[in-house]
Amino acid sequence: MPVARWVPPVTTAMALAATAVAIYLTIAHYADPDLLVCSDTNTVSCSSVTSSDQSLLFGIPVALLGLIWAAGVTILCLPVAWRAAPRWVHQARLIAVVGGMAFVLWLIYAELIIVGAICIWCTVVHVLTFGLFAVVVNTARDVFADA
Amino acid sequence: MPAKGSAKASPSPTPKKGQAPRPKSSQVKGRSSRSHRSNLGPALMIGAVVAVVALMVFVFITGTEDEAAQAGASEGAVDKLTSIPAATLDAVGVAGDPSNVNPLPAGTPPVVEDGKPVVLYFGSEACPFCAVQRWPVTVALSRFGTFEGLEATTSPPSPSTLPNTPTVTYHGATYSSDYITLSSVETASRSGAALETPDDLQSRLLATYNVESVTGSNGGIPFMMVGNLYTWAGSQYDPGVLDDKSFDEIVDELADPTTDVALEIGTTANYLTAMICQLTGNEPADVCTSPGVVSAQVAFPPA
Repeated sequence: MPVARWVPPVTTAMALAATAVAIYLTIAHYADPDLLVCSDTNTVSCSSVTSSDQSLLFGIPVALLGLIWAAGVTILCLPVAWRAAPRWVHQARLIAVVGGMAFVLWLIYAELIIVGAICIWCTVVHVLTFGLFAVVVNTARDVFADA
Repeated sequence: MPAKGSAKASPSPTPKKGQAPRPKSSQVKGRSSRSHRSNLGPALMIGAVVAVVALMVFVFITGTEDEAAQAGASEGAVDKLTSIPAATLDAVGVAGDPSNVNPLPAGTPPVVEDGKPVVLYFGSEACPFCAVQRWPVTVALSRFGTFEGLEATTSPPSPSTLPNTPTVTYHGATYSSDYITLSSVETASRSGAALETPDDLQSRLLATYNVESVTGSNGGIPFMMVGNLYTWAGSQYDPGVLDDKSFDEIVDELADPTTDVALEIGTTANYLTAMICQLTGNEPADVCTSPGVVSAQVAFPPA
C-alpha cells in the first residue's frame, strides 16, 4: 500500500462519522427540523439553517446530497479501496473530496453570510469533510506514484 | 574477497558497465526541488481552504457586531430598557386612547401554559412593525418578570418599510415571571431566513384568533394575545417617533416623560400593563395600582 498505515482506517472512520451525521440531518429535514439537538441562540440555530432556502439544491435537500456523498466517500475510503489497483478508484476519491470541500465552502458561505446562523451538526460534517480533504490531497502524490 | 552483499552496501565510485551514472549533485538538488514543489501543492490547497473559511468567519463576526452597533446600542442600553422607572411611566400616564386592541368575547377559553396565563407574541425579526411593537411590549413585560439574553438589533434595511428601526429581538432571550408565561416566536431572521418554528399552541392561537373577524387581519404580524382577554395584529403607536433615532437615543428619551418617544411607547406600555393586570388579577399590586396603570385601566375598554 503506498500510503501510511493510519490513512485507510482514519479516513474510513471520518467518512463513517460524516455518514452518520448526514443520516441524522436527513431524517430531521424530512421529519422535523426541531429534532436536531442544537442550542438556539442568535448565532447558533440549526433549524434556521436546515430550513433556509439554501437547504435545497435544485429542489433536493442538501442533507440528502451530503448523505449520498458521505456514503460514496466511505466506500472509496475503505482499506480495500485504498489497496485497489485501478487508478480510477484513487481518482474518484480525490475528485469526491475536492468536490465535497468546494461544496462545503459554499455551504459555509450560505450559513455565515446569507442565513447568518451556524448549524452545529452541519459544522461537524464540514470539519470531517475538511479532514478527509486534507488527508486525501496530502496522500494523492504517493497514491498516484504507485497506482 | 568482499563479504556477501558488501558490493551493494558500498556503491562503486565509478559506474560499472550497464549501470546508470550517479546523479550529479545539481541533478539531486533539482529532483529535491521538484519534490518540494509537488509537496507544496496540497499545502497550498489546504491553506487556501483555511484562508477562505477564516475570511467568511471574519465577515460573519464583524457583521454580527455591526448589527448591534447599527442599532446604536451601547453596553447596558438593553438593561435600561427593561428597567424604565415606574415614576416615568406614571408621569406619562395615558396620552391618548388605546389603539388597535380587540377584546375577546366572554367565554373565550383560557390560554394557559406552565400553570400561568399566556401573553403571546407572534412576530419576526424581518417584520418592521414587530420592531416597533417590541419596545412597549418589553417595557410592560419587564414589570411582571425578567428578561435574560435580550439583544439589540434593527428591522431589515431599505427597501423594507421603516428600514433599520432599532429594537430588541426575543430570539435567544428567555423570560421568567411569577405571574404570566410569555409565549414568543420570531419566525424569521432579519434577512428573512426561517428562525423559529411556532409550537402547537402558537400555531393554534394564530389560526383561531388572527382572522378577519377578530383582529381584522388574516395572519398579519406582530400578532399578540393577552390571555383570553385581548388580541390584535400590528403595532399600536406611531412609529414615526422612532425615525432616525438610535437605540440609545430611544432609551434615553423613553426615560424622559416629556418626549414624544416616552408619550407613545410609555402610553402603549401602560395600556399593555393594564391588560396584563386584568389577566393576573391585579398582581403584582405595586404595578397594577400604580397611577399610570390605573389611568390606563380607566380608559381601557372593559373585557
